[in-house]
Amino acid sequence: MLQFKLVLLGDSSVGKSSIVNRFVKDSFEDLRESTIGAAFLSQTIKLNDNGKEVIVKFEIWDTAGQERYKSLAPMYYRNANAALVVYDITELDSLNKAKTWVEELKNKVGDDNIVIYLVGNKLDVCEKDSSKRLVSLEGAKEYAKEQGLLFIETSAKTGANIKETFQEIGEKLYDIKKTEVNTDLDGNTGEIEISKPSTNDTTSCCS
Amino acid sequence: MTKARTDSHFHDAEVLEDLYDSKPRKLGFPVKSPSVPNFHGVLKSNNYNSSVPLFNASAVDRLQADPGYSQGGSSANSLNGDDDANLSVIDMYGGDFDSPRKEQTMKKMDTLASGKGTDHNTDRISSNTVASTIETPIRKNVGSFDRYGFRKQTTYISEGEYDIWWTEYSQYCVRRKGKWELLLEKSGLSYAGDSPTRFPARSEKLKRYVRKGIPAEWRGNAWWYFAKGDEILNKNKGLYDKLLSRIDQIKVQKNREKLYPDLEIIERDLHRTFPDNIHFQRESFQDGESTMIKSLRRVLVAFSLFNPKIGYCQSMNFLSGLLLLFLDEEKAFWMLVIITSRYLPGVHNVNLEGVNVDQGVLMLCVKEYLPEIWSYIKPFYKTQNSNRVTMVSFSSNSSMHSKGTTKNEFLYKLPPVTLCTASWFMSCFVGVTPIETTLRIWDCMFYEESNFLFKASLGILKMSEQTLNKGKLHSTSLNHHNQLRSRKVSQDESDMELFQALQTFPKKLLNPNDLFEKIIFKRRITFNNLDQEEIDRCRKFVKNQRNKYKNYIEAVDSSQYSNGRASKYDDTGHNNGNNTNTFNTSTPISDTMIQDVLSSEGYGFKKGISGVNWNNSIKERVRQIRKRKDKE
Ligand SMILES: Nc1nc2c(ncn2[C@@H]2O[C@H](COP(=O)(O)OP(=O)(O)OP(=O)(O)O)[C@@H](O)[C@H]2O)c(=O)[nH]1
Ligand SMILES: [Mg+2]
Repeated sequence: MLQFKLVLLGDSSVGKSSIVNRFVKDSFEDLRESTIGAAFLSQTIKLNDNGKEVIVKFEIWDTAGQERYKSLAPMYYRNANAALVVYDITELDSLNKAKTWVEELKNKVGDDNIVIYLVGNKLDVCEKDSSKRLVSLEGAKEYAKEQGLLFIETSAKTGANIKETFQEIGEKLYDIKKTEVNTDLDGNTGEIEISKPSTNDTTSCCS
Repeated sequence: MTKARTDSHFHDAEVLEDLYDSKPRKLGFPVKSPSVPNFHGVLKSNNYNSSVPLFNASAVDRLQADPGYSQGGSSANSLNGDDDANLSVIDMYGGDFDSPRKEQTMKKMDTLASGKGTDHNTDRISSNTVASTIETPIRKNVGSFDRYGFRKQTTYISEGEYDIWWTEYSQYCVRRKGKWELLLEKSGLSYAGDSPTRFPARSEKLKRYVRKGIPAEWRGNAWWYFAKGDEILNKNKGLYDKLLSRIDQIKVQKNREKLYPDLEIIERDLHRTFPDNIHFQRESFQDGESTMIKSLRRVLVAFSLFNPKIGYCQSMNFLSGLLLLFLDEEKAFWMLVIITSRYLPGVHNVNLEGVNVDQGVLMLCVKEYLPEIWSYIKPFYKTQNSNRVTMVSFSSNSSMHSKGTTKNEFLYKLPPVTLCTASWFMSCFVGVTPIETTLRIWDCMFYEESNFLFKASLGILKMSEQTLNKGKLHSTSLNHHNQLRSRKVSQDESDMELFQALQTFPKKLLNPNDLFEKIIFKRRITFNNLDQEEIDRCRKFVKNQRNKYKNYIEAVDSSQYSNGRASKYDDTGHNNGNNTNTFNTSTPISDTMIQDVLSSEGYGFKKGISGVNWNNSIKERVRQIRKRKDKE
């Protein structure tokens, strides 16, 4: 089993907890309690590697969105394999907040292997009433491309694109891991953060 | 109400209009809202200002009052049900309280039947309430909610489990209330109405009583009394009303969103505060907002104006929300002031430094009192250029490497477990444990001060250790410690189990007595000796240490920069996981600074009843005193 650490970042009330809840429990509540500090959840998915089934376990940190919680954030994204940076497509300012998160991740984590996914949430609202959309699809897409981020629009309410997003992250991380293992075999001791199969192998030593 | 209302964050003008809509005014003063829900169904006219309408914001009451909603059908008898879980506290306590409640209930039923308000004190809201109850009934099952209006069922507890537990616990509550009544009688404290406003002088006995739980319907008054609410209120008479008037002014101000950014954040959180509690749920009459939500908004906005250093911090919505269930609006406001300043200093400040300090204190306590657990949670840092994880002493991967060890680095780079425990403090266990347990913790917090929050945290950690032991974690983890956590992945795995356990275990603590009887009342459990003085001293120590490290790291950083290297530390000082050997090769910053950091003593807890701090210097002094005594 592979294990990846995933963190959700983004302004308060953009729907981070709702996204995680949709992914983990496949449910949605119109009114969800605001998150204090952070919540920890886990969920497994299956990948298909040329017919071979691979199980991936996500360790998910759903953080609180209020600005002041930012000072705690480094604890959460430390060692993260992927970050979902979420904004609300009906709130212009939430995209700006998302951009500062992207910047912070790039500066602080500095690991090319962290997969950053820009997620525009509450798609259902705009599907019902297009005048509610305040962040254009094209603009966000453009920005994501510039920054080399994955990008998608979702709805935690209807579930649109939620599973797919996590699935894609799983695949992406799996690919990265595979290439890492390969370079590792070549004698390069690049860091394999993620997921050697867990063993209770007591002979593996420590320096 | 339309969905748009929840999602509207301050944009549409129409919403803005009634954003700060306060109650009808009398004599130019804002009337405090009837925020105290009448969860126990008692007439409060004795204790409450007559301007408070009888409505009492109790949806439960309305539910119970309307025969149409009770499960049993239409007879008035079914109001009292035969299921204990459905009874209000008063039903259970019986006696004098029984009749007024029934009267009230009957009166309300009459009202419902005749379709018009009979209460002369009622203002617009209460008559609306009654009227609208008929038009738009809340079709919910009363039996699904507890005595405070919270849904019994949670992710971790089923309604059935709750009911079974409650049958017993409600009887415990009745017994405890009987004891309290006797105690008050003996202390010569008679009281009128349903709750005393004065309580006996502090004593070990009273402390024990508080620890066994304050009667639910006395909680508001008791908390207020023990936290010395009157002191602060009397010093600030009229201030809350002034704040409310300022809110009114702000309401019409032009660029208020820019000037008061907290307003919007508060707005987003209002409907995300106890969405599962009847009192906080949207009402279909009026403008769709429950009285409680309006009170909550006023308290939070008033607080943000009162204390701009804190402003609004997510978690304060839950603190205020719970307070509003037990106290009127003005008192709830002052209690919020007391909690954020006296019990949790700095915790909600913009930089949240108080949270980090308290987490440091908690970690020191765990290390001292729960060494077993400490062995799970103490942080491990990777060494570099290696895909293996080694258990390294904290200092060995920093510049202090060659200079010796330092005991206190974990106070600065807090262990990951604090990601879970931070919220325990920010919200004082609201939403962390089931409500009855949270309330018992609050009882003790107001009587014993913040040290109780640490005791409760240590207690919960200690109890969850059993869960940890049961699980795989035990074997793998012990292995790790023998084998020095050989691989990162195993570490991640046990960390995950740890987080999972620490997050879910408290949520299953339905019965407060599990915590109190197994932990808090046990003398042999050493952390029960923690007192406020110790916690205050500890907080000071941690604050100091964190400052030292911060300065140190900053100095290192700037010397790094001058060497053209970027720091691997983030600005909060949390090790971000890929700190490399950079420090070892850098030019050392002032020796005194390093010395200062390194020479820090570990924190010395006072042991046992003697109250002596057993750090080295004191040990020495005691030795000398003994010698002297021996000579004499
Ligand atoms: N219509 C709609 N509403 C959503 C969607 N996702 C979330 N919401 C609502 O938006 C509000 C905020 O969602 P949360 O999941 O609590 O937001 P969050 O990002 O976790 O917020 P914080 O915990 O404060 O950081 C809730 O009332 C949700 O019901 C969505 O896809 N569509
Ligand atoms: Mg959330």
